[in-house]
Amino acid sequence: MPQATPFLASVIFVAGIVAGGLGALLGLGGGIFLVPFLNLAFNFPITIAAAISLTTVIATSSSVSAGRTGKHLINMRFGMLLEVVTAAGSLLGGVTAQLLAQSTLQRLFGVTAMIVAVIMMTRLKRRNVILDPSIDPGVLGGEYYEEESGCVVRYQVKRLPVAIAASFLAGNVSSLLGIGGGIIKVPVLNAWCGVPLRAAAATSAFMIGVTATAGAIIYYGRGQIVPVLAAAAVLGVQVGSWGGMRVGQRASAMWLKAMMAALLVVVSALMFVRAGR
Amino acid sequence: MTRLERSIGMVLRAGVAVSSACLAAGLLLSLSGLAASIATPLLQTGILVLICTPAARVLISTVEYVTQGDWQFAALTAIVLLELIASAVAALVFNRRL
Repeated sequence: MPQATPFLASVIFVAGIVAGGLGALLGLGGGIFLVPFLNLAFNFPITIAAAISLTTVIATSSSVSAGRTGKHLINMRFGMLLEVVTAAGSLLGGVTAQLLAQSTLQRLFGVTAMIVAVIMMTRLKRRNVILDPSIDPGVLGGEYYEEESGCVVRYQVKRLPVAIAASFLAGNVSSLLGIGGGIIKVPVLNAWCGVPLRAAAATSAFMIGVTATAGAIIYYGRGQIVPVLAAAAVLGVQVGSWGGMRVGQRASAMWLKAMMAALLVVVSALMFVRAGR
Repeated sequence: MTRLERSIGMVLRAGVAVSSACLAAGLLLSLSGLAASIATPLLQTGILVLICTPAARVLISTVEYVTQGDWQFAALTAIVLLELIASAVAALVFNRRL
């Protein structure tokens, strides 16, 4: 268990700002950067790093979603349906994390970081799907007003089993490794299930709070959330994501995405090296 | 905005505000070494409020769907609540066994 010194708390606060800022800019949570930082630079066990990271996921989800309610960008019904599976996946992940060896968790993180890097690279240029405005959204679909185009975007949810499978996997990885899991769900919902990117991202951000909670309860009950360090991380990530949102998701974020994808490849390699020792 | 959206927004905002305030105060007190005896309960409260916020959001959704007579979504959100309770049970079981 790491000692909660003022120095360590300050470092984690700054790391939280960087991770939260990058997360907001790239449209992912900060966990994918925070967990390897704590594990590789400070030798935190993955479970302790994941526990701290999950608290930041909850905070980000709650604060981002609070500001978005009423704008219909979050598809609440669809989100609440998928939460049934993300929470189940998360519960399973939280239990599994307690049983797996440190090196196994590191290898799993390495694999996940590599997959996230690939997803980021292949989605550098987002597709703009033209949707039929006269479509009937049905029970699970939705509609929202898009400020840029001044139109109402209406969509139907397609291939529900695919969305459910991706959500289970995302929930599982979330608690196992301490990341939000949006990076797994959002591309799937967008590419295969007919959900526009912004709605998919907002709905995922809404869900990850509950998803992370299912895992965080286990870590909390096991005494793996170090209060001072979690506080520093949560506040840092809040500041960082607030700043990142102000700067906004610009087109020039493309080089940033490419750089971060490269960084994740390095993280992945380091995790495997560490696991092999 | 529906009543559910309004109350979810309120719960999330309140949860974030209370937990951030507790965590910030607890962190400052703990690091400055001024009042360590107050710092620990403040930090614990902050983390508990943080973890309970999404759970509270699910709970009010269940209540709202029951009120509306939307049994399908009342059941779905109730399952999510049960899963969160199962997490707490899993943590207890681990602490007993290991």
